[in-house]
Amino acid sequence: MSKKVKKVRPEGTLGIIIGASLMGSLLLAGLLIPWFGKFDANEISSDQLLSPSGTHYFGTDMLGRDVFARVFDAVFIDIGTAFAGVLIPLTVGTIVGTLLGISRNRRVNSFVGSLIDGINAFPFLIFVIALVAFLGAGLSSIILALSLVNWARYARIARTRAVVVNQQGYVEAARTLGYKPSRILFRHIIPNVSSETRAYALSDFTIVIIAVAALSFLGLGVNPPQAEWGAMIKDGATIITLAWWNAVFPGLAICWAGISVAVFSEGLTKRIGEGNQQ
Amino acid sequence: MSPDVKLLDVNNVAIGIERRKRETLVLVREANFDINYGEMVGIVGESGSGKTMICRAIIGTLERRGASVIGGEVLFEGLDLRTITEAKWKTLRGKVIGYVPQSALAGPNPVLTIEKQLAEALSQVEGTGSMKNRSKELLDLVKIRRVDTVMKQYPYQLSGGMRQRVMIACALASKPKLLIADEPTTGLDVTVQSQIMELLREIRRDLGTAIILISHDLALVDEVCDKIVVMHAGATVEVGPTASMAKPRHPYTVALNSSRIDVAKPGGELLTIKGNPPSVGQWNPGCRFAERCDYVQQDCLVGDHPALSGKKGEHQSACLHADKIGKN
Amino acid sequence: MEVENVSVTFGSGATAVEAVKNCSLTLHEGEPIGIVGESGSGKSTLARVMAGLQPPSAGQIRFRGDNVFKGNKSFQSGNRNQVQMVFQDPYGSLNPQLNGLSAVAEAVRIHSKVGKDEAEQKALELLERMGIGKLDALKRPRQLSGGQRQRVSVARALSANPTVLLADEPTSAIDQSAQAQLLKLFLGLLNDGLAIVLVSHDLGVIRYLTKRVYVMKDGVFVESGDTETVFNDPQEDYTKMLLASIPGELGKAARAKLKR
Repeated sequence: MSKKVKKVRPEGTLGIIIGASLMGSLLLAGLLIPWFGKFDANEISSDQLLSPSGTHYFGTDMLGRDVFARVFDAVFIDIGTAFAGVLIPLTVGTIVGTLLGISRNRRVNSFVGSLIDGINAFPFLIFVIALVAFLGAGLSSIILALSLVNWARYARIARTRAVVVNQQGYVEAARTLGYKPSRILFRHIIPNVSSETRAYALSDFTIVIIAVAALSFLGLGVNPPQAEWGAMIKDGATIITLAWWNAVFPGLAICWAGISVAVFSEGLTKRIGEGNQQ
Repeated sequence: MSPDVKLLDVNNVAIGIERRKRETLVLVREANFDINYGEMVGIVGESGSGKTMICRAIIGTLERRGASVIGGEVLFEGLDLRTITEAKWKTLRGKVIGYVPQSALAGPNPVLTIEKQLAEALSQVEGTGSMKNRSKELLDLVKIRRVDTVMKQYPYQLSGGMRQRVMIACALASKPKLLIADEPTTGLDVTVQSQIMELLREIRRDLGTAIILISHDLALVDEVCDKIVVMHAGATVEVGPTASMAKPRHPYTVALNSSRIDVAKPGGELLTIKGNPPSVGQWNPGCRFAERCDYVQQDCLVGDHPALSGKKGEHQSACLHADKIGKN
Repeated sequence: MEVENVSVTFGSGATAVEAVKNCSLTLHEGEPIGIVGESGSGKSTLARVMAGLQPPSAGQIRFRGDNVFKGNKSFQSGNRNQVQMVFQDPYGSLNPQLNGLSAVAEAVRIHSKVGKDEAEQKALELLERMGIGKLDALKRPRQLSGGQRQRVSVARALSANPTVLLADEPTSAIDQSAQAQLLKLFLGLLNDGLAIVLVSHDLGVIRYLTKRVYVMKDGVFVESGDTETVFNDPQEDYTKMLLASIPGELGKAARAKLKR
């Protein structure tokens, strides 16, 4: 008996495809252009502040460096840092939050809980800036600072979710079936908790990209001469009326990255949402 | 009003979700039944049979889910509900047609006290006396004692059964002509269930309200309803007066009857319906029950889904071989 | 199994709630018994104590003579597999990320200590016995009906090869037709020698499946005995009321008796 099952494209797929393509093309460009591009990102020349043309697509900066090359040279720096700045808090926060959620130890719970709430009380960006200033400028400081601040946000989400998951039937069933506690934790509890934290991570990613650029804009990021969007904007801001291309193109790159992630996560949410409606 | 006008007449109704660039997803194919004033009608079916969709059509909440009536007509006191405007709906919904949702899913607004909820429901209707007194009257109507205490409480302080009574009270605020109770006792204890059923019976008797009782439990519906409508995979497969339905003429109803716990011998033969109800949108040609039917014949597998035999008001069956079944 | 003078108290001091008060019962091999009561009667708590999920505040639980609880830990002597439980809510009983096959295969692998492929094979067989075909076994819980989810839960519980199965209101959240399927399934399991403790608020379901029943109210057993006897000749008013509430024919008969 043939079942007439119509294969229809689920809602949200468009968003996923567009988002992934945008980010993918950016990453691809960041990979290929430094290798095959005409100019080296750090090559100083006497062609200073040239406006965009056929040779220098995005123009040149104050030191005669090709802006096009620099923008794409910075791709992996910016996105990579942001990625690390999300992945580390995600992992740490999820695990700590989950353990806290299922723990019955009152003292540990209140101590770590207060720590989490305390960190979350601070405005994110200011706290990160303060930490980076304290740790000294540089990419590793940025990643460290982001991790130290952001893990608490993930932990809070994870803890709330873990409390709920812990009481669910399938966790009780796993205990009744005599599964080892480690198995229950890693195979049953954490996957169901991380679904929430992973969703948060996607939206967080956009914010972190901007945060990384912002920190560099403030001079707390990479050391020159390394190309980086935030730093480029900072340099370009002073001469924006003279040579707008110095600030605008790195800015566009940040927007591109942020929008691609946002569109992707919207699409993903819709896709999962449709499944939940059944 | 002519004596022939029924309170509700559902005629060959089809409900579907129209989707851009895709085929319309049909949820209900042929729904057919009518309700007279003051009648208690039970609609029985498994999940996905379309019983809730029909009620949404009657109360006008289909649009919210992107669905619409794509065929047939739904006549309420002669008025075709498909053609009325939202403004007209507002005069019907919650006023002439009441709705009590499933006990497990919805319930009173958790942040309002009972008094405020009742007041909200009552504010839609005119009445004499203070709001407080009218609210107390309503609580009386649903047999809640300690009225003064309950008025001040929040839903979380009440048991499931009490919450359900409050929902019924809100629905009755406007003294509707038709009350739709969607699985009002699912998830509640049997003791509470029998109390709520008794309550519905009294409401019907004292207020003359017609009641649609949606359930998956044939035994429950058999006990309290005047008429039973059996739905399967989006179509009405059998409908008739309860007494007559004791001898069902559609294989699905026969199967439902045989799977009733209350008539089974302890530890004895309990017939179950094989297979599962077909998922929405995955209906095969011919009779949609054919796959699970014990009496299936060749002609059941082709063509359109069989239509209901007989006339409205009588015992009708949508089985091509109904007469053979009656004999067993 | 023996439940001896078990009490369970939640909380302490002024807000303490005694969910179970001094209850005792015996369960023999392959026997079906029922614990019937309304919500809040303490029956679910008692079932969880018997399953080793909750330590009693007083009293003992014994399985084959051994104390189930030593301190707060249960089934330390390796009997953990023997007593399994099916929970009320089919929607929460299964890990939403695992399909039926994975969930059952995991249980099989842990209990039978077999390899992945063999475990999957056994899991498919078990699911088949429960009426879940191969196609459905690959579906995630949210794609299955309530009745199907319950049957997957039962399959998972059975993969531990238990001698006792506790079922806490297994039929309350599912359709009538799915109920019938599940009960028929339980009957089959009884014939295979499994002892079943059925906890429910519906005496109709209890009557169909069990040989002995304990009627519970506010943490206490108010009446107990052979199911048939309790049905035909209830002694306590509470039992009579429960009987009168059963939908359909059984309830009608009970109500008629009450009026006399």
